[in-house]
Amino acid sequence: MTGDVVLEVRDLVKRYDSFTAVDHLSFAVHQGEVFGLLGPNGAGKTTTIRILMDIFKADEGEVTLLGELPGAVRTRTGYLPEERGLYRDQGVLDVLVYLAQLKGIPKQQGVQQAMYWLKKVELQDWAKKKVKDLSRGMQQKVQFVASLVHDPELLILDEPFQGLDPVNVELIKSLIRELQAAGKTIVLSAHQMNLVEALCDRIVLINRGQAVLYGLLEEIKRQYSPKAVHLRTPVELIEPLPGVVMMEQRDGVYILEMGERSPQDLLQFLVGNHVPVESFEVATLPLQDIFIRVVQGAAAGHNQTEKAGVERGEVRL
Amino acid sequence: MRNMNLAKIWIIARREYWINVRRPGFLILTLMVPALGAVALFIGTFFSGQATDFLQNIFVPGSQVTGIVDRFGQFTPILPEYQEDFVLFDNESAGREAVMNDEIRRLLVIPPDYLETGTVTVITSEGALSVTELEDSPHLRGFFVDHLLRDFSDETLRARLRDPVDPVVIQIGAEEEPQGGMVGMVLGFVVPYMLSILLIMTVFVSSGYLLNSVSEEKTSRVIEIILSSVTAQELLAGKVIGLGALGLTQMAFWLTTAGGLAGSAVGLLGVAIPLLSRPEVFLLAIVYYVLGFLVYAVLMGSVGALGADKQEAQQLAGIFSFMAAIPFFFVAVVFTSPGAPLIRVLSWIPLTAPTMMMLRIPQSQVPAVDIIGSIVVLLVTIPGILWLGGKLFRMGLLMYGKRPSVPEIWRQLRQA
Repeated sequence: MTGDVVLEVRDLVKRYDSFTAVDHLSFAVHQGEVFGLLGPNGAGKTTTIRILMDIFKADEGEVTLLGELPGAVRTRTGYLPEERGLYRDQGVLDVLVYLAQLKGIPKQQGVQQAMYWLKKVELQDWAKKKVKDLSRGMQQKVQFVASLVHDPELLILDEPFQGLDPVNVELIKSLIRELQAAGKTIVLSAHQMNLVEALCDRIVLINRGQAVLYGLLEEIKRQYSPKAVHLRTPVELIEPLPGVVMMEQRDGVYILEMGERSPQDLLQFLVGNHVPVESFEVATLPLQDIFIRVVQGAAAGHNQTEKAGVERGEVRL
Repeated sequence: MRNMNLAKIWIIARREYWINVRRPGFLILTLMVPALGAVALFIGTFFSGQATDFLQNIFVPGSQVTGIVDRFGQFTPILPEYQEDFVLFDNESAGREAVMNDEIRRLLVIPPDYLETGTVTVITSEGALSVTELEDSPHLRGFFVDHLLRDFSDETLRARLRDPVDPVVIQIGAEEEPQGGMVGMVLGFVVPYMLSILLIMTVFVSSGYLLNSVSEEKTSRVIEIILSSVTAQELLAGKVIGLGALGLTQMAFWLTTAGGLAGSAVGLLGVAIPLLSRPEVFLLAIVYYVLGFLVYAVLMGSVGALGADKQEAQQLAGIFSFMAAIPFFFVAVVFTSPGAPLIRVLSWIPLTAPTMMMLRIPQSQVPAVDIIGSIVVLLVTIPGILWLGGKLFRMGLLMYGKRPSVPEIWRQLRQA
């Protein structure tokens, strides 16, 4: 699903006086993936993104986008900033075409592409209206279109779901998936962890300017899994079971806490012993819980343990 | 500084121009100034007595005539060419009655000792201002000269006495042929003044639009999307060019209408005469105009971006309007001693050089070193200002809702 590195950040540092906003941050994004750039407020995400977009200059470290330095690939990248807006007194289509032109798209082509995307977000009838006549949600969708109207290879979306109702969240989600299917690379920064879980292949979690979690989302979740299995069966289970150190029954579901052995061993044992299995699920922590645990852990001064996790998570960099 | 993308600058400039040229505010202001000018002209004309003349011409026929009581003797009879405007009265009381009946506009009583004293009594129902106008009237001067010398047959001498001085100025050290009369006046005064004022006004007007445009992009938060597509320098350059063109459009419209209103088209004279007689003056004025506009507009735009809102931005940008206007404080020195050290120093400082040189260049003795030096200084300064301005601009644009302190600006400039 994913290919070459299209965005690489190595040892990035950005200081504002004595405050270090980004502290030796490293991560890489591969072609065709949706990559989550996560972190609590003030973690350094926006500063990092602004450096990627050549709006800020880094104090130290290296950044390459599509094999070039930031600023050299403006026409091939798209950006939806968190602090965003549009020219309120102008027509929707005019604004989109102007922004496409600034990205090197000829006017006529800009009109065609803008109309294509406006149709995708169900705003084609609003093309000639002034931006200020649109509802907030509609403006959000126009801003989303503005970031990709020039058909970029790499798209950086900072809080794309902000201010959207559930229907429009689904719409944007499906468009992100569509873009990914078309081979685009997407860096997504969002606070809605359920959406990040649904969309991202890999993530980096930044806290106080440092990467505290980095890698495949599945691996990270496994790493933070509570090592338990949820099993539903019509028969009564009799201990001992292989690998199970503690068993508890709640609402007709067995919660089996696993020791050293893997859930696969347990499943194999159950099937081998003709135990009817209605459902078998390896329990995982939601990303939100992992996020809170890591960030709060770091705040409590336990980040050393978590950093060990990061190192384990540093794959394919 | 990276190479700037000219195509993007052009797109920005074109957009800025077309968006703003259609704004109701721009159209109203552009049309309102000539309308106000027309009102001012009418009021000015009215107070200078011409409006009264005009009204009197329409409503009180014959009231332009001046009555003469000639106790000196040299004015009787009145020469044929003056008989339409001047009429003799035998005595003062008859003349007074004519004034009271509005048959004549005024009565001049010329006493027997006029030659020794020059005293003439003016009897009129108008205010004192009309008498001042009378004193400066070339027609009245001609009337007196021609009658005093009526027995003198030399028409050339009479003409010379009517208009004794047409100054031809030869400046020490000047290589050029001396310029005299109207051309000299236009070159020496009208052109530098017009162009300098034009520069200042264009800078004021354009920077106002620049501030509006910057404030709008800042407050609407569209700026970060724009900065992901173009560099701050490209954005600033595009805005300066587009809005500069807008300011020039407005000024051109105002000048044209002013020319039309004034009737004498002083604006056109200011351009056409020097172009025909001394093209280098015109050329240099254009050079300084363009360089000056770039310096001021870039500075005002970038510093203006630091303001939290439009008002604050305008206050900050006002510093540079003031700097551009400094040479006007020394305008008397420029015309009397154009080579004074102060004048030369101000010609070499990038922020005052454009206006100062525009005031100086029509004076023929500006040393070549000052001209070349100031142009070089400006050419070197502009990329620096654009670079520095771009940094300030970028920093200011991304600081929402607050104005940075001076130490913060310095720190950011080092870090940006």
